[in-house]
Amino acid sequence: MNGHDEALLDLVAVYALGALPERDARSVEAHLATCSVCRRELSELRAAVDAVALSAEATADEIGGQRSERLKARVMSAVRAPQLGANVVSLERARGRAPNRYLPYLAMAAALALLFVGLFDAFGLRAQAGRDRDRIAMLEAKADMQERSSNEARAQLALTESRVADLLAPNAQRFPLSGGLVARANNRIVIAVQHLAQPPKGKVYQAWTLRKGAKNMTPSVTFVPDTSGLALIELPDAAANLVAVAVSIEPEGGSKAPTSKPTFVRSLS
Amino acid sequence: MEDADLLMARVAERDVAAFEAVYDRYYRLVYGIAFKLLADEAAAEDVTQAVFLKIWSAPRAFGGGMFSAWIARVARNRALDVVRSRKAHEAGELPADLPLEGTVDDTVFARLDSQRVRTALAELPDEQRDPIELGFFSGITHEEIARRTGTPLGTVKTRIRTGLRRLRSALEASAV
Ligand SMILES: [Zn+2]
Repeated sequence: MNGHDEALLDLVAVYALGALPERDARSVEAHLATCSVCRRELSELRAAVDAVALSAEATADEIGGQRSERLKARVMSAVRAPQLGANVVSLERARGRAPNRYLPYLAMAAALALLFVGLFDAFGLRAQAGRDRDRIAMLEAKADMQERSSNEARAQLALTESRVADLLAPNAQRFPLSGGLVARANNRIVIAVQHLAQPPKGKVYQAWTLRKGAKNMTPSVTFVPDTSGLALIELPDAAANLVAVAVSIEPEGGSKAPTSKPTFVRSLS
Repeated sequence: MEDADLLMARVAERDVAAFEAVYDRYYRLVYGIAFKLLADEAAAEDVTQAVFLKIWSAPRAFGGGMFSAWIARVARNRALDVVRSRKAHEAGELPADLPLEGTVDDTVFARLDSQRVRTALAELPDEQRDPIELGFFSGITHEEIARRTGTPLGTVKTRIRTGLRRLRSALEASAV
């Protein structure tokens, strides 16, 4: 320990806490690889940081009974959906266990691609099998690229997982569309459409909802499909009182009332 | 060794009941961490769901050690992803992920509960506790902590280290 640079040990503490920017974290890791003094400091301080994490544990009261129940129902219904387990496991095996920190995310992303195919199959919406295989390969490659390129994509993937889980929930009501479906589960509405054309320049797709008893559509989120033509959208609106969902092409930023013929209107009954 | 190791071995064999037991035991920890970082119930729910689906889909990502520490890091990293996506268009750097490998296998820390940690944290001097909590639960870097608290960067780093060492000693002492 004698003579070790104290400033470096301080930096190891900040690294252990997870409060270093990426580039500093990488240089601390490079030093750790060659310095046993810092490695020991790290292992002692990480235990303290793990303890700090533990302090955040919420009580059941803080989360609330209703929220806890709904959350557990969401998670367990996703787990019990037969496709999820089967596809993910086979993928994990097929890919082996490479020492890649993103691998779990990748396996999940690729599994999601399979899930879509299975899901669309189930609704008789699929084209020929060859196209599905191409689509899986493409989505896998895309997920791979996204994982490498940005943290934002990883957050997007987390959202995607959560939306797909709702789509697959055994208690979900599903309303087929041409090329997709609208699902209502756990008081959420998710729209999944494939082969959606890109909107013209300066335009976006916008979702609309119709509340029970209302005369006019309420504006909801705007979106564009990904490069493969896939759109997977969760509406922020509470699902319970909605009787219909529609999508139309609107100027960027969205409109207050539809200005074009809807791409589709789907009644939720 | 936590019972979680045994449960996770069963989860890897696709045992839904074992998964449910893991969920029941750890969802309050995962939700609590996500909520502290995101201050948003719906977002904390989404992160919780994503963390547990990840555990179900890739149970072997857990390589042994203390399960509670591992799942807490997974939760924090997931919540940080969301923080990053929110701040994608703002200037300013965000902290790196916590590495998941190499969780400590430490008998003292295996028996901790959240209440005892909260007590030990409360006993730290504010000037040490604050940068530790900001660093872990705000998704900001040490430079940002220095800026927000008007403290020189070197001092922030030293206080984080001193505070973590003191917390560790306090927890060891209270475990006896
Ligand atoms: Zn060193």
